[in-house]
Amino acid sequence: MNKLISLQEAVSRFSSDGMQYASGAALPVGSDAIVFGRELLRQKRKKLHALFHCNSQQLNLLAAAGAVDKAECGFSGLEVFGFANGLRRAVESGRLSLEDYSNLSMSLRFLGGAMNWPFVPTTVNIGSDIAWRSAFAPDTYPATEKIPTIIDPFSGQKLGALSPLKPDLAAIHVTLSDPEGNAIMIGTEWSRFELSRAAKKVVLIADHIVDTGCARQFPNLVRIPGVIVDAVVWWPFAAWPQSSPGAYDIDEKHMRLMNEQFATEEGTARYIDEFVTKTASIDDYLAAIGHDTLERLQKGPSAFLLDPYRKWIKSREEINALLAQNASKGDAR
Amino acid sequence: MSDNLHYTPQEMMAIATGREIRDGELAIFGVGLSMLAGYFAQAHHAPNVRSLTEGGVFGATPVGGLPWGIECNRISSNAVSFTNALDAIGFLVASGRCDVGVIGAAQVDKHGNVNTTGIWGGEIGERYSLPKTRLTGAGGANDIASGARRFVIMANHEKKRFVDNVDYISSPGYLDGGDARKRHGFIGDGPSAIITTLGILRPHPQTKEFELSGWFSFSNIEEVRANTGWDLKIAKDAVPVPEPTGEELAALREVDKTGMLRKK
Repeated sequence: MNKLISLQEAVSRFSSDGMQYASGAALPVGSDAIVFGRELLRQKRKKLHALFHCNSQQLNLLAAAGAVDKAECGFSGLEVFGFANGLRRAVESGRLSLEDYSNLSMSLRFLGGAMNWPFVPTTVNIGSDIAWRSAFAPDTYPATEKIPTIIDPFSGQKLGALSPLKPDLAAIHVTLSDPEGNAIMIGTEWSRFELSRAAKKVVLIADHIVDTGCARQFPNLVRIPGVIVDAVVWWPFAAWPQSSPGAYDIDEKHMRLMNEQFATEEGTARYIDEFVTKTASIDDYLAAIGHDTLERLQKGPSAFLLDPYRKWIKSREEINALLAQNASKGDAR
Repeated sequence: MSDNLHYTPQEMMAIATGREIRDGELAIFGVGLSMLAGYFAQAHHAPNVRSLTEGGVFGATPVGGLPWGIECNRISSNAVSFTNALDAIGFLVASGRCDVGVIGAAQVDKHGNVNTTGIWGGEIGERYSLPKTRLTGAGGANDIASGARRFVIMANHEKKRFVDNVDYISSPGYLDGGDARKRHGFIGDGPSAIITTLGILRPHPQTKEFELSGWFSFSNIEEVRANTGWDLKIAKDAVPVPEPTGEELAALREVDKTGMLRKK
């Protein structure tokens, strides 16, 4: 079944104010479904409860814009690019309540959601303020509801219990997907495998749409099969300015510019005007990045990783024809 | 202090950290300085170190400078396997299989507890108030601190960072000392060293309080004590740390192509 729809339609159909929204890969600096976040802002979604394995420029943007009330995260920086100014401002002002976990505990919570377990035993996050302090219940110390202590029934040893996560929606960035949602991720998955099984709805954001022949050639590499996918969105350079291994490199200059803008309300408004409001169509988006930058980013040292798949990549005309089969209105806008 | 040196205190810190990593070990490096220290060890004296990153990049070495993130293209162009976080920090680290990890710290205390979550300017108190300054959170460092057999902490040696008790324990060291880790049920054994821009601190075998074990050629006991927020004890066997050799510096600078550690 062809599940290709436009980004605008995916956001309008699968998102709502106040929803639990998860995004994957959720690396701080790569494979982030940030174009979905840009469209969430264009459609004025608010009071989001973000479940991000790691902060990314998407969460930084949504937090800077005031669209997120609550967030649960394993890491809240931007790696070598420093602190995430938008998220930081929202947390320090009290506008956004940030519940801290770690990279592994977020993965374990998605795994718990995927397995439909009541809780997940953990030997990490115990004996630390991650377990003892809860931003969602700030008056209880030590926290009792966040990572309660349990006893291993076999050994009698103390350990922690993590609550499972079942996000209302996961928007997951993938390098390649066929029109049914059989997807290949180049680079590390981080938590995308278990997240895709934990979420109630799954929308894939793919840099490239490939023929199903590609999935049949590399079935072991299809870690997200179409049977668990609700919709597929095609958007070139979807993770920009972050990287997508094999497809494009990090745009270092824009990474810094974006984070600098998020340090103030005025800068955030300028960024949203220039790089959110005015980039609603694929053409305007690519024009905003600029032709020379697009060319340069595609020629990074990992570009060879895409080589085995190139012959299956569909052209824009082919994608528009698939979109037209599904869409009530128009082509890939 | 270091005007006449042909290397920076940050380079000395990275080299001293790298010396902690032994050939053949299964090692996990966080992004930034700890990655430089780890890949320096691999280039210099531990060619068979088995390295991984938190997201599951195996067998890679950085190309073109310090990676921007654990999975950026600079570390994706020569990997032999990409897996995921459950695998890397779960199956291989939190399980207790990983020999050594390297983590950074905004604050570290006398029992090796690490804060990377926020600065409150002292004890938070009963109510979990907003931080004055929000930092990056734990990332994979809590998982490494909980599960790796041992881990090494890297931090700039400043009084405001080396405190009696950290504001928030993001990654547990020895908590309040002694056998606290055993009582809590941790799998890993805890921090084996704090490597700083002035010297090396190691835990007392029983109390687990960190003591000065070595100082760098451009530093001395008094300078280290003056920059430490607790009454730092000097280990009986404390000695000066050997300066970097020419081979060590050359190997480090090959890994640190973009000169992260040479910025003043």
